[in-house]
Amino acid sequence: MNKIYITTAILAVLLAGCAKKTLELNNPNQITTVTYWKTEADVQSAFAAAYALFRDVDGGFWGVRGVELSNGRGDDFFIRNDVSYLYQLSTFTNVPDNAAATNVWNVCYKAIFRANQILENIDRVTTLSDNARKAYVAEAKFIRGINYFTLAINFGDAPLRLKTPQTTPDYFVAKSPEADVWAQVKKDLTDAAADLPLSYPSQWVGRATKGAAVAYLGKANLYTGNWTDAATALRSLTQSPYSYSLMPNYGDNFVAGHENNAESVFEIQAGDVGGTNPWAGENGNQALGVTTAQEFAPAEVAGWFEVSPTDKLFNEFQKEKTTANDFDPRMYATLAWNYPGSTFYTKPFSSFALVFGFQSMFKKYQNYNQTGEITGASGAADYSSSNNERALRYSDVLLMLAEALTMQGQTADAYPYINQIRHRAQLADLPAGYGKDALMAEIRHQRMIEFAREGLRFYDLKRWGLLPTEIASSDKVGRQFYVPKKFDLFPVPQAEIESNPAMKQNDNWK
Amino acid sequence: MTRTTSTADRSTIFHLFLSWILIAATVVSPVFSAAQSVTVTGKVTDEAQQPLAGATVSVKGKPSTGVTTDARGIFSIKAGPGELLLVEFVGFQPQEIKAGTKELNVRLATLPASLNDVVVIGYGTVRRKDLTGAVASIKGSDIKSQGVSDMTRSLQGKLPGVTIESAGGDPGSGTRILIRGVGTLGNAAPLYIVDGVQVANINNISSSDIASLDVLKDASAAAIYGSRAANGVVLVTTRSGRSGIPVIQFNTNVGAQRLARKMPVLNARQWANVSNAAHDAAGLARLDIAKNPDSLGTGTDWQDAIFRTGIMQQYDLSVSGGSENGRYSVSGGYNDQQGIVDVTGYKRYNLRVKSDTKKGAFQFGETILLTREKWIRTPTGWGGQGGGPVGSATKMIPVFSIYDTSAPGGYAGAYGPVVNVANPVAQLHLEDINYELTNILANAYGEITILPGLKYKLNLGYTNTFGSNYDYYHRYQVGTLFSHPTNDISMAKDQTNLVLLENTLSFDRHFGKHSLQALAGYTYQQTKYSYTSASKTDLPDGIDVLDAGAGTASTGGNRTQSDLVSVLGRAIYSYDNRYLLTASFRRDGSSRFGSANRYGNFPSVAVGWNIANEQFYHRGSLVPTLKLRASYGVLGNQEIGDYQYSAAISSNINYVTGVDQHKWFGAIQTAFASPNIKWETTKTSDIGVDAGLLDNHLNLTLDYFIKQTSDVLLNVPIPGSAGSSTNPVVNAGTLRNNGFELGLNYGNHAGALEYNFFGTLSVIRNKVIQLGTGTQQIFGGQPTHHGASTTVTQAGGPVSAFYLVKADGIFNTQDEVNNYSKNGTLVQPNAAPGDIKFFDANGDGQISDADRVYCGSPFPKFEYGFGASGNWRNLDINLFFQGTSGNKIYNGLRQDLESMSLEFNYSTATLNAWTPQRHTSIPRAVINDPNFNDRTSSRFLESGSYFRMKTLQIGYTFPAPRLRSMHLTSVRAYLSADNLFTVTKYSGFNPDIGRSINNPTSTNVSQSSGILNRGVDFGHVAYPIARTFSAGVQISL
Repeated sequence: MNKIYITTAILAVLLAGCAKKTLELNNPNQITTVTYWKTEADVQSAFAAAYALFRDVDGGFWGVRGVELSNGRGDDFFIRNDVSYLYQLSTFTNVPDNAAATNVWNVCYKAIFRANQILENIDRVTTLSDNARKAYVAEAKFIRGINYFTLAINFGDAPLRLKTPQTTPDYFVAKSPEADVWAQVKKDLTDAAADLPLSYPSQWVGRATKGAAVAYLGKANLYTGNWTDAATALRSLTQSPYSYSLMPNYGDNFVAGHENNAESVFEIQAGDVGGTNPWAGENGNQALGVTTAQEFAPAEVAGWFEVSPTDKLFNEFQKEKTTANDFDPRMYATLAWNYPGSTFYTKPFSSFALVFGFQSMFKKYQNYNQTGEITGASGAADYSSSNNERALRYSDVLLMLAEALTMQGQTADAYPYINQIRHRAQLADLPAGYGKDALMAEIRHQRMIEFAREGLRFYDLKRWGLLPTEIASSDKVGRQFYVPKKFDLFPVPQAEIESNPAMKQNDNWK
Repeated sequence: MTRTTSTADRSTIFHLFLSWILIAATVVSPVFSAAQSVTVTGKVTDEAQQPLAGATVSVKGKPSTGVTTDARGIFSIKAGPGELLLVEFVGFQPQEIKAGTKELNVRLATLPASLNDVVVIGYGTVRRKDLTGAVASIKGSDIKSQGVSDMTRSLQGKLPGVTIESAGGDPGSGTRILIRGVGTLGNAAPLYIVDGVQVANINNISSSDIASLDVLKDASAAAIYGSRAANGVVLVTTRSGRSGIPVIQFNTNVGAQRLARKMPVLNARQWANVSNAAHDAAGLARLDIAKNPDSLGTGTDWQDAIFRTGIMQQYDLSVSGGSENGRYSVSGGYNDQQGIVDVTGYKRYNLRVKSDTKKGAFQFGETILLTREKWIRTPTGWGGQGGGPVGSATKMIPVFSIYDTSAPGGYAGAYGPVVNVANPVAQLHLEDINYELTNILANAYGEITILPGLKYKLNLGYTNTFGSNYDYYHRYQVGTLFSHPTNDISMAKDQTNLVLLENTLSFDRHFGKHSLQALAGYTYQQTKYSYTSASKTDLPDGIDVLDAGAGTASTGGNRTQSDLVSVLGRAIYSYDNRYLLTASFRRDGSSRFGSANRYGNFPSVAVGWNIANEQFYHRGSLVPTLKLRASYGVLGNQEIGDYQYSAAISSNINYVTGVDQHKWFGAIQTAFASPNIKWETTKTSDIGVDAGLLDNHLNLTLDYFIKQTSDVLLNVPIPGSAGSSTNPVVNAGTLRNNGFELGLNYGNHAGALEYNFFGTLSVIRNKVIQLGTGTQQIFGGQPTHHGASTTVTQAGGPVSAFYLVKADGIFNTQDEVNNYSKNGTLVQPNAAPGDIKFFDANGDGQISDADRVYCGSPFPKFEYGFGASGNWRNLDINLFFQGTSGNKIYNGLRQDLESMSLEFNYSTATLNAWTPQRHTSIPRAVINDPNFNDRTSSRFLESGSYFRMKTLQIGYTFPAPRLRSMHLTSVRAYLSADNLFTVTKYSGFNPDIGRSINNPTSTNVSQSSGILNRGVDFGHVAYPIARTFSAGVQISL
């Protein structure tokens, strides 16, 4: 019997010794935060993960749902009742659990979390030069600033998170007033503008430049009514060292063949590379293009025809003909409709059915030179378009600058910038002598047709205080459900309220 | 990375090495002396003088001297004169007899029926009379073949406290087993052990291979499995041979399955009328395809187009036998089941070998189980909103036709401004999905008797599960909405290896009135998983290999490992067959936790009192058998993902950059780590009674339990503004389940009629005691493609309680709409007469998610099963009924089909929609539904109670004399019906709902079907359960 005891005792001792090692396993699939942040390549990969969210299919502001969200509420836009949460936001019947709004909120904060990680860990990469470090810090602040910008215009009040959570209580942050969010946007963009480069070598084209930070800073000041600051920032972009210019052909801004062009201030990069599934989530199977074009394309070319321009937009384009008495070239580039000789996806337009009772379809950003929307290299069912989304164009800089000047009463100074836009559109010079109101009316008209489908219309109307009248005067489906103030902003997402004890719903949504 | 693997491999080798040291140390143990022994021979028979083969005869106190009787019941043993021989046989009262010179004749008396059973518990067996824990058992012979491929399905309602639900109607989809309610919010699946080896599930085991299935329900029984036992343990023991003449058995079953209930949806003309009314109401132009309702006729019946009679067949052949020194059992089976949905199917091949060999003090044995399964699956939805083919078949507009020979692929489909619902026939034929799974289970043991009653056993287990997924898309154009320009293929391989090493010392002795069974052990278990996937686009027609693809390729892969190291011990003591005590302890160390919380201790204790064996007890009373039991213990749960404790960098979060628009590789931390998570622990108290009444004809088992789980491991939702992509696993709360369970069995005979009635009843209450931040609410149960959640889990209520906005009738007039106001504003400003009135529960003057209220529980108030079996001469009959009561089901499919808000087909209920002239309970038809009549609300919550005739089987056994001339021992033929009828108010396909599990090898059932989705009929991806009729023959040679 003793033998047994001894054997057992030996066994127990041996086991105690080896068990510890046996149970100490490292994840073979992933490296940990302890071993990351050693090289410049680590920093660059972290940036890819932060930028990628701009294009995130389900909540990136320039991914398909984001584009539907930013445009969907405008008086120029219709969304059909196929994906119900999109239909609801576009008809002002959305409630706090709206998936599109929730996802935009979440994706902005994911990007902010990633930008904050870069800011907190950059000093662990000891091989960086001072200049490189400063440029990376500026770039991370740019990403953070843009995301707070998106939060401010869509939600108003929002939690300010400038550090990564370290312990459980850090998960729960109360919201800050909208003014504080704007202050943070401006601070981040000011810091970013100071240290970002003017341009990048060819392999890095598409990242944030100094010009992009200045333009967004100007835009933030315009949105908050700081006309002087807005004008200062925006005017600087019309001068050296910047060399932005309008593309001679307006339509070149929306086709894959002319990406990152002279008019592009900040552009969301999309390419039919990577995996084959745009809905795969953040992994190697994810196609790195955008699916927006397939969602918007008509059924006849295997699209999902989720949206349509309203006739209000269709008519707005026709208010002024070109000097050659033709339709505005921007109308040809933005819409497809039935005019003599009209083709769409290389077929006569008459072979397409206008199924919603509106007279046109969106052509801007569609791959309308192909025979069908689904002919990508991947061959997958969910075609992913390579066409970059232009987040901020130089024409926006010019019109914002004109607006900032007009609002200060400097109408004469505003003229040349408006005329640059008109010239490109083959319109005659603006007659002299417009007062502030007349000039603003012209700016509003130009913005509506210049930026249709670019996600600006609703936010423009909001800052001009024109949402009630313009929605009421449109043929938008659901216009009768619009409630002023309430539907100007999205409510705090239901999921955020439910999981964050420090969070309160906005007053208009209580 | 490779370094860690080799460390793990080294440790496996190290553990093996240790074991062999131990064996070497024990082999040199006691040598037996048998002085002056003589050979004693004898014969062992039962009360009817029939020889008992396989009975053990040993010199008392020297188990190693044991021999077994041969086929004629004869034994021969060396024993000293006057020494006592102990004769034992399972199910019989042991007998002692003095060795003499003449041939002995031993007649063993059978034990009373209920006490006769041996119950398999972890790492050993115990006689039911000595059992102190709550264990539900079923014998293989009671698992009747019912024409179902999956054995566990036939257990539904037969085990008290054990809920068995189908995991979908797909052939081979398996079942979900819940033991004593839902004790966790994560993976609630029990631990499955087959012949001592942990497996992911038991769906691949053939019912004819099962000797017994034992479910360890309380802590005392299950604690020996420590950290994996909180959800209960299911122990499957496969058949062994018996010594004697070899037995050859052949069973076959051939049957047919049909859909039990078709969904009532509109035909083409009816649909057009409803659609037109809905468009008129919304002030929208009618759809082109609906313009002339009367010209449309009935159109396509999409359900008829996909459902079929599924033929199923099963064949099993087994050979078993043995001698005094060894037993063997070999069996093979083939199972082929066509699904009731066209194309789908399931096939299984089984081979099993099990043997034991004894020589002197040594015993060796093994189980080898090989299975190969193949599923042909339904596609899960083509990007659109129809979901799977069954969902599409109900929602596809009947105006559209099935075929279009001119289209690539050959199928027609939807066109025009309608919702993207795919042609379900096209879905089934244009995407080929199959999954093949090869499963190897090998278990071998060596056992040595060191001292009388003391045994050492080394058990080595190994499983290798190799899955192979194939998914081929044919190029197609289906209608205008579904386009797939190239042929694509994706393939994936997954492999799970489990290595198990167990060293146990067991001790089993009787000392006078004392009896002690003790166990000590050390175990090591390692699980490795790996996954590889590859896909390619643009394949030539008719070719389905990756190499042929000209388009984009993508690949992926990963692997994980987890280790578990444990020491365990147990003692079962009984005094005079009156007082029973069981105590067990297990200490587990798991690699799934960080170093601070790696080890967990899981003790349990139980006591039993056989009152009927007391002197004072009147044996002849109404209750001749009576035992009281009580137990308490602590169990654990570690079913979370691997490596949760470290903060990982996720890679392949890519972006595009550069003039050439190339891929920019991305990587960053996307989620928070959970460095401090610890074991989920479940404390279970149980009291029980086992009684035999009416001369032990009626046996009863009754248990009451309280099961409290604390530190529940859960991905608790954290605010989206924290920036994490996933919710961290935390120890989030406390749950409690308590309940009664009752099992009854009455057996008797009247003349030539032998009959047996049996029944079970389970009553379980489930409550969340505390959760997360205190006010934490966790929502779940999405019912439709875009629908809002239906369930909430929060402190004070049951897990996944239905939490819905209440539908409160219909507004019949504009006045009623106008009168429903608060402070001068309308509560439902977008409503019109004929719309649903919703209850403003929080009184804030508007209808929102804040108005959700508790509307019921997905858990039944009670579940029951009862049946009868009888034999009369050569005829036998089996009946079984089963049901639930008091549970609610959220009918997600009805939410879509009664909506009239979107452009797809509707339920026939919409023919009765509200109009100003006809006030009904179905709201008015209006496209786009401005009042959200179809919002997730109590309108679609239904009673889930049902009563089902589960089984009817009638058999005939052919008379033996005639068979003998044909060299057959027995032949039985039978007819069987499964799911004959169901009485329920539930209007969906089936009240026994279940979301399909995509990966049958997944141990984590919750990830695919989800505790928080319980009771939600996600009709979108349903696969209804079939009604089955079959005939079978069982032949023994």
